[in-house]
Amino acid sequence: MDSNKKYWKGLEELNKTPEFVEKNKHEFAEPIPIEDVLSGDGLLGKTPRRDFLKAVGFGVGAVTLAACQKVPVHKSIPYLIKPEEVTPGVANYYSSTYEGHAILVKTREGRPIKVEGNPNDLLAKGGLSAQAQSSVLDLYDVSRVQAPLVNGEGKAWNEVDDYVKLELAKIQDSGKKIAIISSSISSPSTLAVIADFITAHPTAKHIMYDAVSYTGIIQANQNSFGKAVLPHYNFDKADVIVSFGADFLSTWISGEEFTRQYVSNRNNKSLQSKKMSRHIQFETGMSLTGTNADVRIPLKPSEEGVALINLYNAITGTTLPGTKKLADNAANNAITIAAKELAAAKGKALVVAGSNDVATQTLVNAINAALGSYGTTIDLDNNSNQYKGNDADLAAFIGDAKKGDIAAVLFLDANPVYDYYNTKEITEALAKVPLKISFNTSLDETAALATVVAPNHHYLESWGDDSAIAGYYTVMQPTINPVYNTRQAEESLLIWSSSATKTYYDYVRNNWDKNILAMGGLSGQKGWETLLQTGFVHVAAKTAGAYSFSKDLNAVAQTILTQSTSLVAGDKAYELHLYQSSAIRDGKHANNPWLQELPDPVSKVTWDNFAAMSLTDLKALNLQEGDVITIDANGTSIALPVLLQPGQAEGTISVAVGYGRAKGGAVIESGIGKNAYPLYSFRNGTVQGSAVAKISATGDQIILAQTQTHHSYEGRNVIRDASFTEYKKNPYVNSGKDGEHKDYKSLWENYDRPTYNWVMAIDLNACTGCGACVVACNAENNVPVVGRDEVRRRREMHWIRIDRYYTFNDEQGKGVTEEHEIDKLKNINNVSVVHQPMLCQHCDHAPCETVCPVLATVHSSEGLNHMAYNRCVGTRYCANNCPFKVRRFNWFNYWNDSRFENYLAEQHTQLVLNPDVVTRFRGVMEKCSMCIQRIQAGKLQAKMEKRPVKDGDIKVACQQTCSANAIVFGNGNDPESEVSKALRSERTYYVLEELNVQPGIGYQVKVRNTNELEA
Amino acid sequence: MASHKESIIREPLVTGKGITYAKVTDDILAPVENKPNRAWWIGFTFASLGACLWVFAVSWTFWYGIGSWGLNKTVGWAWDITGFVWWVGIGHAGTLISAVLLLFRQKWRNSINRSAEAMTIFAVICAATYVVSHMGRPWMALYCLPLPNQYGSLWVNFNSPLIWDVFAISTYFSVSLVFWYTGLLPDIATIRDRGTGWYRRIYSVLSFGWTGSVKTWQRFETVSLILAGISTPLVLSVHTIVSMDFATSLEPGWHTTIFPPYFVAGAIFSGFAMVQTLLLVTRKVLGLENYITMFHIESMNKIILVTGSVVGVAYITEFFIAYYSGGEYEQYTFLNRFIGPYWWAACMMYGCNVLMTQVMWFKRVRTNIAMSWVLSIIVNIGMWFERFVIIVTSLHRDYIPSSWAMFYPTWVDVSVFIGSIGVFFTLFLLFIRVLPSIAMAEVKLLLKDQSEEYKLKQIAEGHLDPEQVEFYKNSLKKFDSVDISVYENA
Repeated sequence: MDSNKKYWKGLEELNKTPEFVEKNKHEFAEPIPIEDVLSGDGLLGKTPRRDFLKAVGFGVGAVTLAACQKVPVHKSIPYLIKPEEVTPGVANYYSSTYEGHAILVKTREGRPIKVEGNPNDLLAKGGLSAQAQSSVLDLYDVSRVQAPLVNGEGKAWNEVDDYVKLELAKIQDSGKKIAIISSSISSPSTLAVIADFITAHPTAKHIMYDAVSYTGIIQANQNSFGKAVLPHYNFDKADVIVSFGADFLSTWISGEEFTRQYVSNRNNKSLQSKKMSRHIQFETGMSLTGTNADVRIPLKPSEEGVALINLYNAITGTTLPGTKKLADNAANNAITIAAKELAAAKGKALVVAGSNDVATQTLVNAINAALGSYGTTIDLDNNSNQYKGNDADLAAFIGDAKKGDIAAVLFLDANPVYDYYNTKEITEALAKVPLKISFNTSLDETAALATVVAPNHHYLESWGDDSAIAGYYTVMQPTINPVYNTRQAEESLLIWSSSATKTYYDYVRNNWDKNILAMGGLSGQKGWETLLQTGFVHVAAKTAGAYSFSKDLNAVAQTILTQSTSLVAGDKAYELHLYQSSAIRDGKHANNPWLQELPDPVSKVTWDNFAAMSLTDLKALNLQEGDVITIDANGTSIALPVLLQPGQAEGTISVAVGYGRAKGGAVIESGIGKNAYPLYSFRNGTVQGSAVAKISATGDQIILAQTQTHHSYEGRNVIRDASFTEYKKNPYVNSGKDGEHKDYKSLWENYDRPTYNWVMAIDLNACTGCGACVVACNAENNVPVVGRDEVRRRREMHWIRIDRYYTFNDEQGKGVTEEHEIDKLKNINNVSVVHQPMLCQHCDHAPCETVCPVLATVHSSEGLNHMAYNRCVGTRYCANNCPFKVRRFNWFNYWNDSRFENYLAEQHTQLVLNPDVVTRFRGVMEKCSMCIQRIQAGKLQAKMEKRPVKDGDIKVACQQTCSANAIVFGNGNDPESEVSKALRSERTYYVLEELNVQPGIGYQVKVRNTNELEA
Repeated sequence: MASHKESIIREPLVTGKGITYAKVTDDILAPVENKPNRAWWIGFTFASLGACLWVFAVSWTFWYGIGSWGLNKTVGWAWDITGFVWWVGIGHAGTLISAVLLLFRQKWRNSINRSAEAMTIFAVICAATYVVSHMGRPWMALYCLPLPNQYGSLWVNFNSPLIWDVFAISTYFSVSLVFWYTGLLPDIATIRDRGTGWYRRIYSVLSFGWTGSVKTWQRFETVSLILAGISTPLVLSVHTIVSMDFATSLEPGWHTTIFPPYFVAGAIFSGFAMVQTLLLVTRKVLGLENYITMFHIESMNKIILVTGSVVGVAYITEFFIAYYSGGEYEQYTFLNRFIGPYWWAACMMYGCNVLMTQVMWFKRVRTNIAMSWVLSIIVNIGMWFERFVIIVTSLHRDYIPSSWAMFYPTWVDVSVFIGSIGVFFTLFLLFIRVLPSIAMAEVKLLLKDQSEEYKLKQIAEGHLDPEQVEFYKNSLKKFDSVDISVYENA
């Protein structure tokens, strides 16, 4: 029904007032006001539209013009005359030598950037120490003396020569003595140059001494067998090794060589033939070697001699006068068992001692002779030349100098003002010597006192040679023009002795032509060139003679016992034990930031030395880790923070030398640690590193910069170990590979890896934990050094680290790894250690890859986990989600931040950077790339040679430097590759396997030959 | 809205006498239209000093790098993501109040939704600053957006929860902003109509030409409902996705399926606590006791109690699952919360969030303004520690013991966080100066049937059940804004 009724809402509507009509027009519809615009003055009137277009036109034009400005062009100038052999972008390798090792030096565009072992090196077969790896950085060190100095003033070389020659002539006339003080020299040519100098200046005498001396062994061999040499040890021929404080895998004589030998009886190959050597270590502080021992017994310095006497008695069945039992039953037991095992392994046994005491070493000789070690495990006929120093010679020099008999002293690679135990005496003595000449490369403590500083070349700038072992000659050739205005010391000596041969190159050539080349079947120019390529000459070794010991031991035993008694610490005193840290060694290379930031393999401390003490002692003294104590011994005292060291003998303190350098470089002058050399003492004709020390707390606290602060693995599936007996019964023991292994279902699809699948195998039984791989990686991948403060904040940048875990063995010999269980143990001196290299695992189901918002970390078709720095925005989610915590974030702009004394930030040291690897900007994540640049280079090489990549073509930096061959890298798709074979080992397991991230790195179970001692 | 007679036993939503539409407008616009008082100036001074500290600390971070924070190789997130999650959580109350309570026709929301929504927006802004500032290279933040590019169109990683975060937070922020602004339109129009000169012109532009016609109102209501519909899933989704930053990872302590509901409950919990903190002060300082009444305070306390208990159950479940799963890493992580070096943080978390809020079972506590305020602060402290415990305590000791490390904040960490609170309060204080802190239009809807005055009139008319009236009178006793003597005489 229609209705005509109208409803209105207000009077306005009824009356239809104009306001209402206007307002109500839009009640229901809002048409676009096109009509208004077209009919109104939208298109007429002033023309804002045209003005707008004009403005836009002008603006765009102006911007375009402005953008046409030329960007400044920085022209890089190519070689005008291209040197032969140098192709930009292609590395050249030169053979050379470092501390007697044959090495290869990688140079790019004429600058050395990396030192690599020569795979044919007799000593370590391509393995190199952390020190060798880091030596390339020293070349670019801005702290080196950059020009010769006379009385502190820069002079030209000819002025220096005139001055020195005149002075030497005067001395010649006066008949006074000249001393050449050097550390041990094993280079035949250098020795010849010095001999020539002595011929020219007959009053001159060459004194060799070593900061950490081996005089004890050399003298003992003189006394026992009439041969004042350091023997060549063959750890590979030893089935039973007993070491008394000798850190032979690291700092003792020839660590890299011994590591190679030692591991050959403990690696996968050896285990598969059911063979494993047995290693018992008696020592005071926990050394790298001690961490690798099957059985390690803490022993005070005062007990070492007593223990050796007991061992001798037990082996020979005699009783030396004054024999007494050790206080500790476990140690007595260990001695008895060690004696039994050594005797059983006659001819395949080796006893070594780290002591520098002649009597102790004589007793060791007697034991080794009784065991038939001479001719098998010890070779006196092809002796080592690595250490020759005689402590008495330097002491005699000081006496002469104080009398005023010495008119000139020349220092070659020697810094006695720092590392001689009696700083006061040496300084006083030197004050009486009018002419002091230093060849040292930096203005160190000794060079600072010198009248003439004639800076030597770095070895990478030098010609030369070396002979670490009799019959093994290596050649040194320069790989770069001298960086600074330096001159090789040998050349200076040649000039000063007015030699007919003007350059040292000619001298070396002549020497080799005359004496050495022929031994290697080489001759003439061609022979020399061959030598420069192969790097060494090895003369067939002489047959090692069997030596028998026939000296009277009664006096020896008496000396040992007297000395032991004098070392027994009284009430509130401790026995001090000085040692070399694995990274810094004797302190000569302390200015190297790579070494300073290399964590100590045992304590994981960087940038400092410390006083290691046992938990019992710390509790008794009510000290916390980091509390600074004063150590008072031999009339001097130093203040150091304490470190809780599991396995440290109770009642002892271990302190590393090599720290506390006062002069010689920007890094060390910032104050790193304290100098412990003054705590040495001169006893029985040698300098010895044990003493009785009083300690007192200073109340200060220092936070040690440790890269690892939790020391047990909490029984987690990170470390797997087994005893050798278990292994022999079941090679799969604890690897989880025999049936226990679960097959985890995957949510993700597998990536295709059609050609290559780069994987790695790490043998925990081979790895000694030395850390050379860390430095090799630093050098290869331009890893920043962050300094002590940043390490304290737990921000070290190392792409590879060595995790070190302690296992505390309870009364039943069972390993305890969980923190709350460890706290309950009564005796925590029985410690086992395992080292685990940890780096990016290149997981096939990488947790980091799924969480990156911007796809900066992705998987490659070769099984690698890539990191695209340019894409990274730095959310750090990947690092949080990485179960292995191997990702490293650039917290700061390490290469361009003035607050970091970083080698990357220094324009000059930057030259060491590997141009194949970019430096990373702050705010991006980085991590191990498995040396992708090396993989690419290897693939490219193979492609150019039109062949597939062969197994072993590509070696990653960590693998290459490992003397123990613990790291194997290669193509997992090739079933015949070394790495595939290694991963097929029964011992292979994957860390945190149950997470199913499918790591690309397999570890092999650590096996310990512990079984027999627990009886 | 349809008017109906409300039962007398319901408590009034607006108290006071002589409340007319004009008075509502006058009361609420007083801070907007007048010069700020001393309290405001004091607050603003502190807040803006805090904001300056934020600018300084964030600039410092940008200049030197993330290294100026206390993070390390093991703990890659700490105060940054703690702050981020905390702020996002706080932002949740606003949406819940404006959207969910709107859909459920909870009219008491009318007087608190405006501030709560404003708070949401400011909290999300604070959270977003963390998203950018925690990046190592914030100038490359655009890589997180799926923008076309010349790298063969390199896309973002849709597998990454951080990308989900980008979408979740930006959606949440934009929807919240639109919702808030839409609700503001009639009120802005009111300011415009009362203002003159440039003041009027600004609000004129801001009011988007609001005419107040029936059609406008009708559309306004429709848009509000639609936006409420869109926002409601966001209440659940945003914190669900934030929780997935943790839940989808591999970290023990993070990798937990309970996280989404647990985080949402926690977010509402902390959001209401923050609303409580702000409104208790605002109503006093701005004299809005008649609009934000004890009923509102108690209602919010009830929600805090419920969500706090939900969070408590989630905590217990986490521990039970850690035990029941048998996963050794998970078990260690939860044990480590109490026996590890960060035990005090866990005590703060469980103590503040679960134990302290249980006192709200008592009505005397719920209706006590001072205690409510203190508890609301305690809840937000507890919620900050919850995120700190989840992030830092889980990260600092995860799978590989060699990498276990401690996290120590630097002054920059602390300054960025304190500064972000400064930024938040600066924005909030500016907001109450330029925009009505209570939705006037919506409060006016309540006057005709849910105000005290209206109910008093009903009682005076005398058709009510005396028992119910007595109940009503009793319920008024807790109100600090009601003159109870009026009822005793009646």
